Amino acid sequence: MEPARDNILDRVRAALRVEAHRPLAPTSAPIFPAVSDPEARFREEFVALKGQIIENAEALRMFLKGFTKITTDGSELVGKAVGEANASVHECDLGVTGCDCLVAQTGSIIVSTLSAGGRALSVLPPTHLVIARRQQIVPDLANAMALLRKRYNKRWPSALSVITGPSRTADIEKILVMGAHGPKQLAVYFAE
Amino acid sequence: MTTSAFEQFTHDATAKTADLRHRAVIQKNIASYDAAVARGKSRFADWQNARSHAAAVKWETINHLDRYLEQFEANVLANGGHVFWAETAEDARAHVLQLARRHGVQKVVKSKSMTTEEIHLNDALEAAGIHAVETDLGEYICQIRGEPPYHIVTPVMHLTKADIAQTFQEKLGTPPTDSAEELAMIARARLRREFMTADMGITGANFAIADTGMIAITENEGNARLSFSLPRVHVAIVGIEKLIPRFEDLALFWPLLSTSGTGQAITAYSSLIGGPRQEHEVDGPREFHVILLDNGRTRLLADAEQRDALHCIRCGACLNTCPIYKNIGGHAYNTTYQGPIGSVITPHLRDAQEWSHLAYASSLCGSCTDVCPVRIDLHHHLLHNRRNAIEHKFDNLIQRFLFRAWLWTMQSPVRYAIAAKLGNFALRRGFAQAFLKPWTAKREFPMPPKQSFRDYWRQHGTGA
Repeated sequence: MEPARDNILDRVRAALRVEAHRPLAPTSAPIFPAVSDPEARFREEFVALKGQIIENAEALRMFLKGFTKITTDGSELVGKAVGEANASVHECDLGVTGCDCLVAQTGSIIVSTLSAGGRALSVLPPTHLVIARRQQIVPDLANAMALLRKRYNKRWPSALSVITGPSRTADIEKILVMGAHGPKQLAVYFAE
Repeated sequence: MTTSAFEQFTHDATAKTADLRHRAVIQKNIASYDAAVARGKSRFADWQNARSHAAAVKWETINHLDRYLEQFEANVLANGGHVFWAETAEDARAHVLQLARRHGVQKVVKSKSMTTEEIHLNDALEAAGIHAVETDLGEYICQIRGEPPYHIVTPVMHLTKADIAQTFQEKLGTPPTDSAEELAMIARARLRREFMTADMGITGANFAIADTGMIAITENEGNARLSFSLPRVHVAIVGIEKLIPRFEDLALFWPLLSTSGTGQAITAYSSLIGGPRQEHEVDGPREFHVILLDNGRTRLLADAEQRDALHCIRCGACLNTCPIYKNIGGHAYNTTYQGPIGSVITPHLRDAQEWSHLAYASSLCGSCTDVCPVRIDLHHHLLHNRRNAIEHKFDNLIQRFLFRAWLWTMQSPVRYAIAAKLGNFALRRGFAQAFLKPWTAKREFPMPPKQSFRDYWRQHGTGA
């Protein structure tokens, strides 16, 4: 092995021989208020972040009319909702994926290489449509992390992302601009 | 003649403090940050308790860092990634260059990373003939202007739309515009081409998760996600203090970082990378490399008194609240990490003597300590650094003589009375102002009243 590893670990161990002052212990009170109605909360948060909820099959048909080149993750749920892919991820104007779960607390959608067709499909296309089931909504991040742990603890996907609204930047004068690098538009459709 | 860091600091800080346009821009930006953060904190059941939780987790990690580093390394290797331990900035740069050569890399896309700023990676890449492109909008603007980030979270907080439009016009030849959206779309289009042709993606990490061997990256734009999705090789440069023990800790640390950083409940993209593309996956880099960087961090770790400075999650809250930062601006510090946290850690990471003056870039008001989401005792550490500087005799003889004289005067009521009378006389006659020039050059100095408070008290006091 390289000596740098041992040198750094030796320095760490030597440094830690002197104990540091312990901070005040936290109380056991919950860190975030409980989420009472997860679906209502998800809708509220997601829309506030400029996410779009497609309410029914008719609305989905209308939405899809706006796109000609579509790429999907090839999953059954997505196939049923939007049909087959007809373009590559680099050329499409709409990427359609599933997800691992939706988080009511923050209006987030959690995707992984396994649940959403790899890494690029949920970030490269200008519009990202997520097909989900209502039962996939969890109350908060703590529940989401527990769900992921349970699902993947044996073999983790190589990448996961918590997506919270469309891509954005406020680097210029704190002015909010949508679609900095990722999708400018993010939509969710709940399949029955 | 070379200018010392202290002389440069005094010069730059003096100039910025008198720059009213700079002050207006910063005040406007920080006012909108303050409003967003107040809303963000209200989403917690108890913000103070959340801070205590975070401080406890970071204390546990930093005070058992050897164990968590080994656990993290073992898990990255098990996931098919590579780990390189870099003792210095030089070691880290050399390793990146070696990887780039091995993979025939001509172009690198970078997502925002203060650690890569710290090791001056871009200069090293360019010197080796490798084109390195910053892809975060703020960092991209810094790169084309050829200036360092002004702020660890908001790199171009000091610029207006008009400044940026002018930069784009001059450097990119784009038409003038007064729309932030148009500017962002110009950058998006240009950078999209860079993403498509880059061979290597370089990122930092906001957290390194020991029990799953993953790195976590917090961002809003999607440039980090593109940087670790499209190129053939992904290299993450991670300070050894970034560790957290458990995957589940992110349910607190993601909202904590985004609330303190921008006021958001969580940023648009919070990602986890746990290795290269796996066999059954459709895309992703073929290789994933983590560079664990020391570069002075173990020196700070060895100072048990200030060890909690390694709890820092780089949210920028202490910069935004600091009255000194708001007056002198981010560039005057001339350090990678600005503001109170930078003034605490820079003397440990770089040369303690050369950077000891930063401990005085503070009013010791304690606002930094109050806002810190991981409860770092920042303003006391600034005081500790002042004490350390005196103990190591980094102060000068004139300072030492003046403080002795001040002490001698203050220890006797008679000497104090004489000194006050002399001072009052000198000020009223205008003799003393010459010595106050550094202060009075840009500020009004009030004339002291004829009668001192002591005299007034003697005449009108309670008389009891």
